[in-house]
Amino acid sequence: MMEPAGPMIHFQNVTKEYENQTALHDLTLSVEKGEMVFLTGPSGSGKTTLLKLIYLAEMPDHGSITIAGWEATALKESSIPFVRRNIGVVFQDFRLLENRTVFENVSLALRIRGIGEREIKTRVADALKTVNLRHKADSYPRRLSGGEQQRVVIARAFVAEPTVLLADEPTGNLDPDTAEGVMRTFKDIHAKGTTILVATHNRDLYRNSGKRVFRLSEGSLVGEEVC
Amino acid sequence: MSVPYAFKLALQSLRKDKWINLLSMLTIFAGLFIISLSFFIFYNIEAATRNLPEKFSLVVYLEDTLPREKVEEVVASFRSRREVASVTYISKEEAFRELKATLKNSQYVLEGIDDNPLPDSLQIKLRKDAMGSEPVRQFAEATKKIKGVSEVDYGEKFLSTLHNIKNGVRIVGIILAVILSTGIVFVCYSTVKILFYRRNDEIETFKLLGATKGFIRAPFLIEGASIGTAGGLTSLVALYLLQHLVILKMAASVPFFKTLLFPSSIFLSLPLIGMFLGISGAAIALGRLKY
Repeated sequence: MMEPAGPMIHFQNVTKEYENQTALHDLTLSVEKGEMVFLTGPSGSGKTTLLKLIYLAEMPDHGSITIAGWEATALKESSIPFVRRNIGVVFQDFRLLENRTVFENVSLALRIRGIGEREIKTRVADALKTVNLRHKADSYPRRLSGGEQQRVVIARAFVAEPTVLLADEPTGNLDPDTAEGVMRTFKDIHAKGTTILVATHNRDLYRNSGKRVFRLSEGSLVGEEVC
Repeated sequence: MSVPYAFKLALQSLRKDKWINLLSMLTIFAGLFIISLSFFIFYNIEAATRNLPEKFSLVVYLEDTLPREKVEEVVASFRSRREVASVTYISKEEAFRELKATLKNSQYVLEGIDDNPLPDSLQIKLRKDAMGSEPVRQFAEATKKIKGVSEVDYGEKFLSTLHNIKNGVRIVGIILAVILSTGIVFVCYSTVKILFYRRNDEIETFKLLGATKGFIRAPFLIEGASIGTAGGLTSLVALYLLQHLVILKMAASVPFFKTLLFPSSIFLSLPLIGMFLGISGAAIALGRLKY
């Protein structure tokens, strides 16, 4: 992917509406390359919509979004998959394929990129090792606990070494110890230079992190601070 | 996307939704089997009638008063025509001898006939490409206008009936083939559409992970091709069973069945035709779906 001259993610006066309901209103924010930031706010404040706009599942009604130098609204439909390949996403609803094993779920991110079988085996094994799930490689998602499923999703999100990693409530189903483990994983990934944006309403995740935190309320940015 | 992975996904889907796939395959089999049967009938009618035109000829009766040199002229003018394959002159004496020979056992028919009542005639055979009922009629009409020709006789009814039967079978065959082929494409189209909707969540995930349209489409095209090929193969097997278990067995007791020809080399292309129709149906479905 092209290295951006400016910020890795930039929203300029972005508004997004769903059937006359404003999900995001005149939002402007930037995330620098290699930065790890948090996005917080109550349910319905627009966190998920903001992430969807970044991974191009939605397009803004007004304003502009730049991701790694690409102007989202100017992208051709055929280019969207190639931009998405540089974004790893930890979905709130996991989006795991129930009829495929943990290994197959994680490897999917690599297969889509056309990576060879041998490399897939090595990289998936490493990713599962990072999230402590190597022993569950042949299990099906429904046989895993909520926390384990979440870790599979995290492994799938970073196995292809994306430039940007987005996480939507990544510790929502986890006990405090596992949540801490997940955050450690994010920090390790971040240490390799990946830009990370974590949407959460769990204050423990960003308290004393020294990272920037964007506060959303009713679709508007109401605060930005370093915690 | 790696091709083996597309095949793996297609195989998984074929196994997972085996009943839908089996039903589609059987429908394709039925369609191709009916098309093949109508082709089989047409092929045999065509083969049976292929040599009939060679036996067909026009008889041109010449005027009694036509001098010998004029006869030569008329013969030469026929020989020079592109559609004429051969011209045989039959003198009135020769014709009378032939008649006598034919009526060898019924000589009483000729009793009292002293003078030869038969005219000189020409037996004209036409080339295969001029054997249609309309060209022959036009040829006969033109011949009638030639000076010295008194009458032209040809199997008008026979020719037009043969022409109509062949045309009728051909038209019915083509209509049937078009309708059933469209049906097969529609079956594949619907199957792929159903399978697509059933895998909607999975496809959405593929897309969000960065899958291109090609990655998403390939397994469905392979699936459509597989269903079509399987339908074609099954109809091929059914035709061979029909040939060996029915036609050849019947031939032992009913001589008619011995004359039937089985165009195996043409039927061998059935799996390919099935595959083509399967891919077409899948491609149309994928082109119309929004994803």
